[in-house]
Amino acid sequence: MEQGQKIRGADAVIKALAAHGVTTVFGYPGGAIMPIYDALVGAPVEHLLSRHEQGAAFAAVGYARASGKTGVCFATSGPGATNLVTVLADALLDSVPLVAITGQVSTAVIGTDAFQEIDVLGMSLSCTKHSFMVTDVDELVPTLYRAFEIAASGRPGPVLVDIPKDIQIALLDYKAPLQAIQPEPEVESSQLDAARALIAQAQRPMLYVGGGVGMAGAVEQLRGFIDKTGMPSVATLKGLGSIAHDHPGYLGMLGMHGGKAANLAVQECDLLLVVGARFDDRVTGRLASFAEHAKVVHLDIDIAELGKLRRPDVAMAGDLRQILPALTQPLEIVPWLAEVARLKAQHAWSYDRPGDLIFAPKLLNRLAAKLPENSVVACDVGQHQMWVAQHMWFRRPEDHLSSAGLGTMGFGLPAAIGAKVARPDACVVAVSGDGSFMMNVQELTTIKRRQIPLKILLIDNQKLGMVKQWQQLFFEERFSETDLSDNPDFVTMASAFDIPGRTITQVGEVESALDELLDAKGPFLLHVRIDEAHNVWPLVPPGASNRDMMDEMEKQT
Amino acid sequence: MIYNLALTLAQQPEVVERVLRVTRHRGFKVTEMDMHLGDNGTTRLGMVVESDRALELLSHQLNKLIDVTECEVLSAKPAATRYPQHASA
Repeated sequence: MEQGQKIRGADAVIKALAAHGVTTVFGYPGGAIMPIYDALVGAPVEHLLSRHEQGAAFAAVGYARASGKTGVCFATSGPGATNLVTVLADALLDSVPLVAITGQVSTAVIGTDAFQEIDVLGMSLSCTKHSFMVTDVDELVPTLYRAFEIAASGRPGPVLVDIPKDIQIALLDYKAPLQAIQPEPEVESSQLDAARALIAQAQRPMLYVGGGVGMAGAVEQLRGFIDKTGMPSVATLKGLGSIAHDHPGYLGMLGMHGGKAANLAVQECDLLLVVGARFDDRVTGRLASFAEHAKVVHLDIDIAELGKLRRPDVAMAGDLRQILPALTQPLEIVPWLAEVARLKAQHAWSYDRPGDLIFAPKLLNRLAAKLPENSVVACDVGQHQMWVAQHMWFRRPEDHLSSAGLGTMGFGLPAAIGAKVARPDACVVAVSGDGSFMMNVQELTTIKRRQIPLKILLIDNQKLGMVKQWQQLFFEERFSETDLSDNPDFVTMASAFDIPGRTITQVGEVESALDELLDAKGPFLLHVRIDEAHNVWPLVPPGASNRDMMDEMEKQT
Repeated sequence: MIYNLALTLAQQPEVVERVLRVTRHRGFKVTEMDMHLGDNGTTRLGMVVESDRALELLSHQLNKLIDVTECEVLSAKPAATRYPQHASA
């Protein structure tokens, strides 16, 4: 393409992607996006074909979350676009930078109920950070640049760009628009002073760390803060990996399936320093009794989170990389640290289980111990997801991919594919459950197509475990539609996709099987039949205070 | 409470939908609206909303919309009637 030569809108899309450093897009073609797929031929941007638009978009999410870059996915109009909705919602709730590009019917027939026409812009309003429909070819390139800027700036999120087919084939002069750098909001020094004073006065301070730390690139600043203040800490599901897991004051995940020490320490604290977290109901339990005696200092990039659910004593919207160092100061909290250490020791996980059946928490704990330093674990949603959060540990937040806000079953396998594309040198493990795995199982074809050396650990308890656990505990054991014992033979199924596998059922097989999984040169499925009686513990019942966690001994049959 | 808001919006075809969607979802009932297209590429939208919720729960979310350039609160007064709140999950 020579300078000044007019190019098709479709070619401009690819050129704009390349200009943003995009090397891989994930997608599935169809009628209204055919010009863009035509422009992909011979282009410097690689396309990874999924077998369902949801798989493509989750791969883009996995790519984004594992790399910190913006993920990109393509889908056609109508069903292609509607298949993206779940992923857009997932990326919105988990603040993932994603640009989704959809083909649309030509502008002349929009609004006529044309073939594969749906109002994608209207559909996108509730599940994106922002969205565009391009109706003027001269607006195409500026819109794409704006989409990338919006997706990654401030609190990141998904942006959809709907491009009618006539815009894709219209000619334009490609000019890269000048981009204004949006400054992050300035934090007032009086607020910093107020926060510093509250931190200095606290006798029992706790750090409550969410996904915002990783998204802000503030892991180093957070760790520096922890090292210098000694403040004990807990993390949300998305915050896992932000804090060094072996730090003595780190108590792991808090909330509904958090550790007892984490929840009790938060209940006892007199100052809660909330960093990039949002008082989600799965974290707080009954909100009114969450850390009820604590003053709250809340730090987040999104001002709308400050005071949304809990009124803070001091709140600051801004760049955590600036704010955290400004709050760092040595603290005199020796008695509190001793109490935290006592709680941590008293409520440490126990992996001693009698019998020959496989205990999933111990298996995952062993997997964590065996993983190389550069690893990514993408999990699905349900009991196995909580066991991963409780019993594994992560070097960085981008090493743990989990559908946290939306809780989307089917997330794990495609997200792992995207993570492996983003970080080809990393050992990427998809940890799934027998329910979740079947929700995007078609993506095994994507693995086969590229021979992606992905490790799949399928934890199988023949049930929709988390729902069945709630039926057992809160619906008088009326088990409605949670029996999945008619699952396929997973290893046979994987073999149909040229993916070798192995099934284990006995605890004595665990070590060699995990080694086989991790040592496999190509993709591998390790199918683990676990003790079906085991549930996720401890648990804060719905509506209860985090102080009132149920233990295994109370209810397990 | 009844809140009287004055919004300045970018002139995009779907911008009113965005404002109304956020207003409904965040638990506010629109009781009056008045919209004018300006000649400088902006739209002025006057809106009276009612809710038991704190106004910031709406105004912060409206301000997050890319095409909302300003959200000014003209007045706030107690409502005569109370409307049911959204159930908190």
